[in-house]
Amino acid sequence: MDYSITKFLWTLLGLFIVTNWGMLMSSTIRRIGARVSGRIGIPWYQPWVDLTKLYSLKSQVSHGTMFYLGPVFRLMGGVGLFLFLPMIFGSWHWSNYSFSGDLVLILYFQLFGMLGMALGAGEGGHPYSTIGVSRGLAQFTTIEVPMTLAVISIAIQYHTLSISQIVAAQQGGFFTWTVWTNPFATGAAMLSLLGAFGHSPFNLIQAPNEIPIGPPTEYHGVFLGFLRTNNAILHVAEAALFMNLFFGGATNWIELIVKTFLIYFWSVFVGMVFPRFRIEQSVRWFLKIPTLLGILAIVIFL
Amino acid sequence: MVTPIYIVAVILGLAFLLGILKSSMTRLGSILMIGGLVFITFVSGQWLYEFLVNHRATDIIYTAGFLPPYAINLQMGLNEAILTTMINIVGLLGGIYLLDSLKKTGINSMAIFIVFVMSLNVIVMTRDIFNLFVFLEISSIATGGLILLDNKRKAFQAGMKYIIATGIISNFLLIGIIFSYYFASSLNIDGLIAANLMSIKGGAIALFTIYVSIILELKPFPANGWGIDVYTASNPGISALISAGSATAALFVAYKLMPMGGSFWLPYFAIIGAITFIGSNLMGTRQENPNRLLGYSSIGQVGLILMIIGLSPYLGKDTLLIGFSILISHYAAKAGLFWLSGIIKSKNIQGWSALRKHPYLLFLFGTFIFALIGFPPFPSFFGKWNLIMALAAHGQYAWMTAILAGSFTEAIYLFKWLGYSIKLEVPEDITIKFEWNKYLPIYLMGILLYFMGMYLAPFTEGGVYINFLPLAFVFLLFALDFLPVYVKNTLSIAGIIWYMVRLFPLLEHDLMREIFAGIFLGGAVLTLVAGYAKKGKRPGFYPMALLMFSGLVGLIEANTLLEFFFSWELMTAGSYFLIIRGKRSMPHGYSYMLFSIGGAYAILFGLALAYASGLNISLAALGHITQLTTLAYTLLAVGFMTKTASLGLHIWLPGAHGEAESDVSPMVSAILLKAGVFGLMLLFFYMGTGTPGSEKLLYVLGWVGALTALSGNLGAVFQEDAKRLLAYSSIGQLGYILFSITMMTQLGWLAGFTYTINHFMFKAILFLVIGGIVVKLGTHNMYEMGGMIKKMPYSFVAVLISIIVIGGIPPLSGFAGKWLLYNAVIQKGWYFQGVVVFFAGVIAFLYLFKLIHSVFLGQLKDNHRNMKEISAWILIPSYILIIGIMVFSAFPQWVLKPIGNMLTVYFPKSLYWQGTRAFTSLGYWDGTTTMIVVVTAFTLLLGWLVIASKKVKRIGQFNIVYAAERPYRPETTHVSYNIYAGYKKALGFLVTPVVETFWENVSDMVLDFSGWLRRIYSGNMQNYALHVVLFIVVFYLIALGGL
Amino acid sequence: MGYIIIITGFLLVLIGLWGILSQKNLIKIILGFTIFDTGINVVMVSIGYVKGKTAPILDIISAKDALKSVVDPVPQALVLTSIVIGLGVSALMLVYAIKLHHDKKSLDINNFKDLKW
Repeated sequence: MDYSITKFLWTLLGLFIVTNWGMLMSSTIRRIGARVSGRIGIPWYQPWVDLTKLYSLKSQVSHGTMFYLGPVFRLMGGVGLFLFLPMIFGSWHWSNYSFSGDLVLILYFQLFGMLGMALGAGEGGHPYSTIGVSRGLAQFTTIEVPMTLAVISIAIQYHTLSISQIVAAQQGGFFTWTVWTNPFATGAAMLSLLGAFGHSPFNLIQAPNEIPIGPPTEYHGVFLGFLRTNNAILHVAEAALFMNLFFGGATNWIELIVKTFLIYFWSVFVGMVFPRFRIEQSVRWFLKIPTLLGILAIVIFL
Repeated sequence: MVTPIYIVAVILGLAFLLGILKSSMTRLGSILMIGGLVFITFVSGQWLYEFLVNHRATDIIYTAGFLPPYAINLQMGLNEAILTTMINIVGLLGGIYLLDSLKKTGINSMAIFIVFVMSLNVIVMTRDIFNLFVFLEISSIATGGLILLDNKRKAFQAGMKYIIATGIISNFLLIGIIFSYYFASSLNIDGLIAANLMSIKGGAIALFTIYVSIILELKPFPANGWGIDVYTASNPGISALISAGSATAALFVAYKLMPMGGSFWLPYFAIIGAITFIGSNLMGTRQENPNRLLGYSSIGQVGLILMIIGLSPYLGKDTLLIGFSILISHYAAKAGLFWLSGIIKSKNIQGWSALRKHPYLLFLFGTFIFALIGFPPFPSFFGKWNLIMALAAHGQYAWMTAILAGSFTEAIYLFKWLGYSIKLEVPEDITIKFEWNKYLPIYLMGILLYFMGMYLAPFTEGGVYINFLPLAFVFLLFALDFLPVYVKNTLSIAGIIWYMVRLFPLLEHDLMREIFAGIFLGGAVLTLVAGYAKKGKRPGFYPMALLMFSGLVGLIEANTLLEFFFSWELMTAGSYFLIIRGKRSMPHGYSYMLFSIGGAYAILFGLALAYASGLNISLAALGHITQLTTLAYTLLAVGFMTKTASLGLHIWLPGAHGEAESDVSPMVSAILLKAGVFGLMLLFFYMGTGTPGSEKLLYVLGWVGALTALSGNLGAVFQEDAKRLLAYSSIGQLGYILFSITMMTQLGWLAGFTYTINHFMFKAILFLVIGGIVVKLGTHNMYEMGGMIKKMPYSFVAVLISIIVIGGIPPLSGFAGKWLLYNAVIQKGWYFQGVVVFFAGVIAFLYLFKLIHSVFLGQLKDNHRNMKEISAWILIPSYILIIGIMVFSAFPQWVLKPIGNMLTVYFPKSLYWQGTRAFTSLGYWDGTTTMIVVVTAFTLLLGWLVIASKKVKRIGQFNIVYAAERPYRPETTHVSYNIYAGYKKALGFLVTPVVETFWENVSDMVLDFSGWLRRIYSGNMQNYALHVVLFIVVFYLIALGGL
Repeated sequence: MGYIIIITGFLLVLIGLWGILSQKNLIKIILGFTIFDTGINVVMVSIGYVKGKTAPILDIISAKDALKSVVDPVPQALVLTSIVIGLGVSALMLVYAIKLHHDKKSLDINNFKDLKW
């Protein structure tokens, strides 16, 4: 339990790196997407431009206290995930506040931001926000099924729920990564990840041409800036979580950047290929192949 | 000492005197009649006093100067004194009650009346069988005369049927008596016993004829159409006498003639009794005429007592106590009910809602119903308890099942009836006049029931330990019911706090009991505080709430099986009345009661098996069940699960909790459900994992718990009614608890405790706040609410914190449960159950969002624009609980560490502590640090937003980007109704009400069967006569014909 | 001789029962009852009868050899009581028959089925 200022500053630095890497990653991905569909796409620095604009907008309106607090909750969700996750294996500087809890804490802390966002959007009073939230929550319930199965499978495999120890167990070389030692769990989790990142075919929550942008519809200016910042952090943090669990973790920032990029790219890649699901389709989908894989991942240990 | 012969002499003298009085002298006539009844009551009462206080020996009274068998002799012993006193009291009270009718019909009817009562006395006392026959005939003829009191067509028909049937029966009795005399040369019962008729050739047939006639006098099912018609058609005052007086005498005849035949005939008594008990009650389920219903019930109860006589070899010296306990309850309750019926004069049981205008009569009605079913503190409770225990001790499980099944069918109609009277509209055409002579007898019978309950309690093993103190407090509150709410509320709270102060030192660091006592009593205080928000008097609320809490605290204090079951039933009774108070709660209160009684009988069976295993009444007997071990534990678990509303037994809960009053919902949800949890925990503690079958049972229950969690949460997702949503959520939460504790590991139990404590806190907050809002807005439908955050910010915060806890989101205490559960599941290896449970946990988000969004967020409705925050009296307890949640969240070690230590006695230790950090072999978690990290980071981010967003402008409700349109009505913009349509499409099939349909079919089947069966009562008196003859033939063929 | 009386008595009982169960007219049913009663009385008397003994009246014989020379007095006492009771029952039944006839102007037993189930 290290509450020192030094620790705090190191963590803040890590957060800064992660935020910027997240933004860069998103612009890169969007460029790739544009190229696939025959466009040139945005410049790589576009996210910083957007963010600057959003933070400096002068007209700011609020629907009420919860609406105001929504983005704080949302950003806290992303930041918290980062805080509770050891980013670089074996490093005191980059292990953040992961001594607060293990994998279970991270799984449940994801909900913190979701809940706050849902409530903030709800007070906005816009029907699209609520529709988006209801879809998001509905989809999330079944996304969690293969994920839970995978997590339990890993816990059985490594006899631990501590992320550092899971990473430690994968340090014996490429073939000690979970993806090879426990392919079913990895499969289930990677399919579940598609839903977690919310790209097509699981992007009905924000479905751009149906319910404008879903939950954040009413958000603008600095509020939207908060949400964007959160997206950047969250994407990296979640990818880092999967990296830690299935792909051997990272011993330095370069490794982290490469691995998180590839993990994130996986969801974008699928999204490029498949069209959007309706909500009942996506809810059911996670209970089919991904859940089956998850069950297999446990059955092999029985 | 006045010898009992004067009972006969004085009454006969009076009867003759009345006969020669002028018919206009009704006043003198009634004085003479009442005087005579008072006199005989005094005579028998004086004997009773002698036997009870001075332990006098049994007295034999000889007549005609000869010793038996040459002359008739009467016997006056303790039994006879009790029974004649009972008969004379009901005769006296019945006489007072019927005074008007008797005056109207004339002096002769008064003579008949006292002769009737006298004949019953002689039937009880006589030791001469021919004399017995004569007085049975006299009582029959007198009954026939009294039925004519009501000059009504139906009464004539019923009387005719009665005379024909009893005529045939008594002729058979006479034949039996002649042949007994022929074979044994004696008419004296003792002589006949000594002669041992069974050993004489032909004697068996003589005995058979006597027995079958005596049994037929008791109106055995199905040869009893004539008896039921009498109950239906005659004046209720007469029915009361037949039910309480004649039946009592006839039962005693069966008892005293029993030794004549020895053990050969007893099983037949028992079988006929059982068939009558079950059959008659089953018929009652379809009955709507109150008098006829009471007739079915009377016959059923008499069947039960006949059964007890038949089972006397197993009951031994307790036979009389058991029989008497049940007889006295039946006697007082049935007389009271018939008398009530005479006051209400309703053609159907629905009309009894007229009682609502007369709370004391309603209270007595409830008393009688509960006494009939065998609830504490009434004598029948102890009777049934002793009966079941004694039968279990002899391994007579089939008889136990029959008794419990019969009792259950009885509950089906009695509670339907009670529910009607509490809830239906008060009929306008029924007015209840106050007449002292009709009220007094009913009151006295009610008082008698309570008195006898207290009096008989110490005669039961372990009964001396029963703590009647809380019950006394309940009575005090009932007596003070006329006071305004705030006085009674303060008094209740003070009483509970005083009791807590008294109780806690006694628990001697029994942590589990301390926790539950905290939940039960602390919860009681907090939820009662919310009661200050109510205005007026809330008639009947406080006694019943306190009754429930008395039961709950009794569970904590119980050291014996008896105390435990006693308290369990008290709690059930209190909670039933609380639940049924809701506006539309009648069907829900009813189904709650049926499930509770079914569950209670399962528990009783289990407790009996525990008792039978070592003849040990202490609660520790649960740990040493050797009789049908697996069945016993299963029954106990199922019984407790009716209270925790586990899957399959849950259908009563949503309605019961959803429709209850705003401060009753938290009582029955946050607090009452924990009684089931307490029971289960206690059970599992004692059961352990080593007993045979327990592994399998736990495994099955684990799955039941997991599936309950899933179905409860899924059910909540699709609710539009805010309180039903919370009710379904309770089902789900209780599923988690069941699942956690079935794991039987330290981690599982820690999770179970965490969920229990959390559920207590957040469900109390939610039901208090949402209940307050529902009342304030006047609707249960969430889609009719919206935007309340602006009007009720404190409520919003309370709800927000609660749902964060339910969701298990760190840093609040709900996460403790999730983390423990994860560790427990993986440690135990129950992976798939675990996944189901965690899936259920995520589904909880759907309804949580729906709840908070639909009520507090979205669009404010026009008709709610002037709403204010809900009452501070509701918010105060909620915020006290929030403080509790916050402390538990920030310092989980304060709670979990001691519980963990306590559990190490039972389970291997798997949770360790290092300061604030908890760890297992799998993972670690630090609640305090998590809290610090989250709060710090959140504050920093909020600060940043505050700095970054200066000059934020608040905008109007409809100022939203609505696809370029501007909404003008909140209703069209508030998204709430069927918000999870897509989810329903995908997974809605999982909420098909399979269980509801199943129970509906079961109930339809029972009712159809009863409807089909009762067609044998065709109304034709010749058919009834034929039934009697057939009964004799069939009984003969089975008993003696070798069939 | 004794057997003949007993059998006659039982025959009367059966005839009475048959009458009760098969006749539709209330009066005939009541008559059935009286026959039933009579049958039982006959049976009772026959049981107490002992060939060659006299009536149990102490005036005629000396009290000393009473037990040897009289028939059993008890059944006779019983019969007397039973006749009285039978009379009472029959009377009550007839009262009911009158009441029922007043009510519906009929004595057919099938007309009195207002109470059922």
